[in-house]
Amino acid sequence: MAHRKKNRNVGIIGIGQTKYSSHREDVNQPEMIHEAVRAALDDAGLSLEDIDCVVHGNMELFEMINQPDLWHVIGTGAYGKSEFRVTTGGTVGATIACVSDNLVASGMYDIVMAIGFEKLQEGHTTGGITNMADPLWFRNLQTGALTGSTAYNVIREFGEERAKRASLMYRIIMDKHAGLNLNAHRSFGLEFEQIDDLIKNSPKLVGDLKLIEMCSQSDGACAVIFACEKKAKESLKKPVWIRDHITVHREETFTIFGYDEKYPITHTHSLAAKRLYERNNITKPLEYFDVFEMYDPASWWGLDWLRDFFLLEGDEHLKLVENKEIMIGGKMPINPSGGVIGSNPIGATALVRVAEAALQVRGDAGKHQIPTPVNHALASGFGGTMWTVLLMLEKELNW
Amino acid sequence: MSEYFGVKVEDIFNTMQERFRPEGAQGVDASFGYDITGEGKWKLTVKYEKMVLEKTDDLSGCAVVTITDGETFVGVNIGKVDGTSAFSSGKFKVEGDLGALGKTAKMFRKYTPPKKEMSVRDYLLDMFGTVETRFRPASAEGINVVFGFDLGGEYGGQWSVVIKDKTCKVLEKIEGKPTAKLEFVDAKDYVDLSLGKIDAQSLLAAARAAVAGDINLVMKWAEFFEKYVDPMASGEKEQELLVLKKTISVNQRYATGPVMGKFLHALINKKIMGTKCPQCGRIQLPAREVCSECRVRSDEWVEVGPKGQVRYMDYVYYSSPDPLTGETRETPYGMISIRLDGCTGNQTFAHLIRRDQVDRVQSGWNEMSGTRVRPVWNEKRTGSIFDIEYFEIDE
Repeated sequence: MAHRKKNRNVGIIGIGQTKYSSHREDVNQPEMIHEAVRAALDDAGLSLEDIDCVVHGNMELFEMINQPDLWHVIGTGAYGKSEFRVTTGGTVGATIACVSDNLVASGMYDIVMAIGFEKLQEGHTTGGITNMADPLWFRNLQTGALTGSTAYNVIREFGEERAKRASLMYRIIMDKHAGLNLNAHRSFGLEFEQIDDLIKNSPKLVGDLKLIEMCSQSDGACAVIFACEKKAKESLKKPVWIRDHITVHREETFTIFGYDEKYPITHTHSLAAKRLYERNNITKPLEYFDVFEMYDPASWWGLDWLRDFFLLEGDEHLKLVENKEIMIGGKMPINPSGGVIGSNPIGATALVRVAEAALQVRGDAGKHQIPTPVNHALASGFGGTMWTVLLMLEKELNW
Repeated sequence: MSEYFGVKVEDIFNTMQERFRPEGAQGVDASFGYDITGEGKWKLTVKYEKMVLEKTDDLSGCAVVTITDGETFVGVNIGKVDGTSAFSSGKFKVEGDLGALGKTAKMFRKYTPPKKEMSVRDYLLDMFGTVETRFRPASAEGINVVFGFDLGGEYGGQWSVVIKDKTCKVLEKIEGKPTAKLEFVDAKDYVDLSLGKIDAQSLLAAARAAVAGDINLVMKWAEFFEKYVDPMASGEKEQELLVLKKTISVNQRYATGPVMGKFLHALINKKIMGTKCPQCGRIQLPAREVCSECRVRSDEWVEVGPKGQVRYMDYVYYSSPDPLTGETRETPYGMISIRLDGCTGNQTFAHLIRRDQVDRVQSGWNEMSGTRVRPVWNEKRTGSIFDIEYFEIDE
């Protein structure tokens, strides 16, 4: 795969998030977006005059507004500026981070603001997701993003009891993390003692995927400001550097898991991770990274994908969860923010992963800041029929 | 002391100090008298952006004296009586400098009556007590159902809401088997849900609430009943917040192109045709123009199936409304990935299993075969996915 080094370094200098909620009926879309924009500008000590370009992202079909950037200009402040619209499904928030990084790295703009938002309460999420499927065939079968196939695979590989307990363990750790994050809205105060009870009593959605294990639907927005090295070094806060990022795309068909070991299926997460680490000479990702903000739409997927992203073997990923190594304070904290299960405004969700990873590097995450130094952070996006965006963030410009 | 609109005259005066706004009293140096018939007299003195209130019969030295009765005084202060018309009708009299009186409006924040607390039990009684008046008979044409509410916790209880012949009746018990029964571990969650403080999905997810029986009926509650209004909520909204409802319904037409067209045409003749990649050999179902992995045209046609084995089934318990039709599929149902005969590895084809067989399907893995299935063809085939109604177990 052709890949070139950046033309110049790019740092994150401003981060703004709204509080996430299952319904934000107190504000309209541009007002909600402006809350994040305002917070990001305040964080960076900048005004809208300083922003050269805006990258705006969400999924039109969720709220059924075409060219939402037009209405939203009163909240984004993009009037008279360069603006780009991006839609790539669940990954969109990560993609706008990549686009912003590329726009600054290329030398085209010095300061770019990425804005991801969604007001899922205003539309029909399942409808939007179903309409991504091929209208000639699969759209008639698909209903939304639910599948029990990962639960099935993990259970088949590790046995029912261990697999189900590990998924709930992951889920409760996310619930505990979300409880520390003031912006996350879905935290029930779950305790590990409730694992057996939840396995038994949480309603089943599809196969062994239970309601408690699935992500929420949220309203909210996130804005992140990217600057070239010169401007970043002049900024109010210490910049967080974007070292590299990778996207691995897929096709629309839904044969994505594989049922026969003789015929392996391309897993975009592990492929993205492998390529990204290789070109950055990272041989032991689990040792190298200090924190990972993962796009985990359900606890089964979060659990299973640890193996893909850290290139682990056998049951190493299950052990990480079972030994609570993914908790704040553990060997590899996953989603100190509470992750996607805690709040999921889809168009913002993957940008929130980048924002939260950057806050961890800066040491500004507040109550969910991990206690050990964060020098290297990983953030992922997930979307469509399994495609991947993966970004690496660094504290120092020394790689 | 009488209460007017739930507020005593004393309440207005006793809260003046805490409602006082020094910034609104800049440059004011005057005394204001209040003579409230049957209630008493008060003298308010404002100077140096500070205030002193005394209850006294001596209103001498006041720049202006307000003379009115308790009901009008309270009513004007809490916005229940229009001051101008009270003044015009003589219920509200002013002696002295009318302009000075105008200044008092800026000196105080508006009086708001303290909220009384309603307990969970109070709310439950109010909610079920108002169900019959909130019923919309026009929405219940031909509806004959019973909602059961089994609300746990210290303050809980059981209620039934019976809709029959366009009438509604509430009973404080559950009899027999309701059409839909809502069970809440804690009645407080039901109150919070009705007040919009928590969402149903969160409660269901945490297993704090469950629905037995007809879940679709539960979703129609809002059609049958007007929304419950919290009697504790302030009658005046600080902001005008509306939610505008829209429904988009559009007709769409999608061209199949020649490859998908050939695939769909084959279905009319009860044939399942896939395209094979000349490079990697994978067969794609439905047929695809290219193999995206190898980036070459997949132009070799092969007939496969129509029988095959299930490699994986999504057992669907929860069906969200189908955005194509607005209808909710009956659950449980099974969406299956079938390896049709003639295909290998992960060359699977997605469709539905016959609903009454959903519990008998086994998924295959590696060498192990899954349940064998065959298509059930639709009598009227038009070249669509539903030319095959579903697959059934081949036995």
